[in-house]
Amino acid sequence: MSHFSTLRILDLIQTMATSKKVITREEWERKLRDVKIRKQDMNKLVMNFLVTEGFVEAADKFRIESGTEPDIDLATITDRMAVKKAVQSGDVLDAIEKVNDLNPEILDTNPQLYFHLQQQRLIELIRVGKVEEALEFAQEELAPRGEENQCFLDELERTVALLAFEDVKNCPYGELLDLSQRLKTASEVNAAILTSQSHEKEPKLPSLLKMLIWAQNQLDEKAVYPHITDLVKATLEDPAI
Amino acid sequence: MVDGGAQEPRREVDFVDADHWIDIFQLSARWRSGPEWNAFLEELDKEQAPSHLNTCNSSGLFHVVSQDKLTVSYVGSQHHGHDVGIIQADCPVPTRRAAYYFEMTVKNSGVKGQTSIGFTHQQYKMRRQPGWETNSCGYHGDDGNLYRGQGKGEPFGPRFGTGDTVGSGINFISQVFFFTKNGELVGSVPKEIRSNLYPTVAVHSQNEEVTVNFGNQPFLFDVESFIAEERFKQQQIIEKLPLPANVGHKIVRSYLLHYGYQDTLDSFDMASENTFPPISMAQDNVLNEQGDMYALQHRKILRQFIKNGEIDSAFQKLKEWYPQVLKDDMSAICFLLHSQRFIEYIRANNLECAVTYARAELAKFFASKSFSRLLQEIVALLAYGDPSDSCVGYFLDADQREFVADAVNAVVLSTNPEIEDAKSVLQSRLEKLLRQLTVCSLLRRQLRSDEGEVFYLHRELQNNRLGARG
Repeated sequence: MSHFSTLRILDLIQTMATSKKVITREEWERKLRDVKIRKQDMNKLVMNFLVTEGFVEAADKFRIESGTEPDIDLATITDRMAVKKAVQSGDVLDAIEKVNDLNPEILDTNPQLYFHLQQQRLIELIRVGKVEEALEFAQEELAPRGEENQCFLDELERTVALLAFEDVKNCPYGELLDLSQRLKTASEVNAAILTSQSHEKEPKLPSLLKMLIWAQNQLDEKAVYPHITDLVKATLEDPAI
Repeated sequence: MVDGGAQEPRREVDFVDADHWIDIFQLSARWRSGPEWNAFLEELDKEQAPSHLNTCNSSGLFHVVSQDKLTVSYVGSQHHGHDVGIIQADCPVPTRRAAYYFEMTVKNSGVKGQTSIGFTHQQYKMRRQPGWETNSCGYHGDDGNLYRGQGKGEPFGPRFGTGDTVGSGINFISQVFFFTKNGELVGSVPKEIRSNLYPTVAVHSQNEEVTVNFGNQPFLFDVESFIAEERFKQQQIIEKLPLPANVGHKIVRSYLLHYGYQDTLDSFDMASENTFPPISMAQDNVLNEQGDMYALQHRKILRQFIKNGEIDSAFQKLKEWYPQVLKDDMSAICFLLHSQRFIEYIRANNLECAVTYARAELAKFFASKSFSRLLQEIVALLAYGDPSDSCVGYFLDADQREFVADAVNAVVLSTNPEIEDAKSVLQSRLEKLLRQLTVCSLLRRQLRSDEGEVFYLHRELQNNRLGARG
């Protein structure tokens, strides 16, 4: 007997010993076929993605093409995306004004968000080398908030530390100047606006995809069955027996 | 119900389109009305829940039950360990849910305060305290110990007596028994007993009296928040799993391609390029394989015609571009299009044309077993003064047009000479993933002794737990 087939048999014995339920591809495909999924539910899922991610024109087109009603007023998406874009391009003051135009309660009830926006403003001042203005802003606007909250204070200190370096890009806190910091702040604002509109912060689709990964992982402990590993291709793989 | 849930007996339409080897009745829009779906959803959760105490299944010698079947008191003389007044609920714990819970209030803890609460198996020895024998679990008032069928108890929580309300529940998400006292969680233990458990209470000394609450009265313990919290914990674990970059975008894009929602697609692509950072997908090879791009323009135009009720134009274009799909005039796609033409006449209240059209184009389909029942329902539209308000009114919904458009889309996709598996044109990638998710979730539940909530996509989409992460 070749080495290979011995391994195969050992493998098989192990599978049998752990008594996992084995489901053939045929059986699995029958189960898949019997699932009832409504087209409208899929359309809603897609609409929810477009709306939450801010694809306002696509959402409008999709409403016409598929007859699916968005779960939020499309006009509010445009405003929300304008805020997001302002943060992403470093114009924090404009973003704050736009958020307040949308709903002044958002920043009033969200001290952490407000602090992060102010922190981002400080970062932008440092980025363009306005040292004096940055110092003044830090002392007047940010320091009082730092006194109220230890987390804010730590973040403030990290940000102000940028001023101590001539070559800010290569200093230990240089990551604050990265694009990712802007994106982080932008998505925080985005989430806060969505919450204020009683909408979920994230689209449902990624959550469902994670549920699929999780359900397959859980099932692996008790069964051998055809997987979908590559989510984008969505092709069914033969069960690994 | 087979496999626990989101499935149903197959409809009689079990037809394979002979020309293309695809069954367009497998399409997900399907002939089904909103009320039908809702009835299905109700059926999914229909399960009897305990409402009172079972006065038949007991030794009957050591306790009496009040007329409302909720209060029980001890009348034995307590000489030994086999004269317990133990009583189960009228039916087992319902399992198609995240958790089950009930409470008991001690009216009188009697001479020894040996009241208890817990769960017992159907065939439990009805003279013993819950937890004393195997297949049971009980929280005892006299020592605050928990008994799990091992003969002796383990230290668990505070004792309880007159005036106290204790609760007992099963959390199916984490598979544990949990207990409460006066509205506070006491603790939980792994649930090692399989299903068919009955809510159970017991009294075992003179003057002991307890009243159970199966949910008719508000619970002292906030079980709703408890379940919400447990769900949230589970959701947090799932949300931490990593996803490949932009996978949501890619799946949405392939969905738009698959169904030929081209205007949406163009907007989506343009906006994606302009996001920050840009997501460029139009050139993604993975997305363009499997022929998703095939006949996109044609599919879009055909969809628009059907969406607007212009069936004649759809027919004409289809004949011009893909004559092969209409070659067999008894095929499913011809049936659907002719039916839809008829439905559009009804919508326009043009009954004369509807009748003429039905005689010319639809009557022949009565001969086919696959279509006759559906056709009968469709033609029934003629019988109503206000067809949209009738039991067959769903044929006039926008969903019906969408279904026909999806069917045409699928047959056009099936003409792609490069396609390997004809069946694959019926489902977008999103649909494949959602089907896999459903089957995995149902099977997982089945392998966990058929306990816990039944996964049903429609319901998942209705609740706001998805996407609401911390």
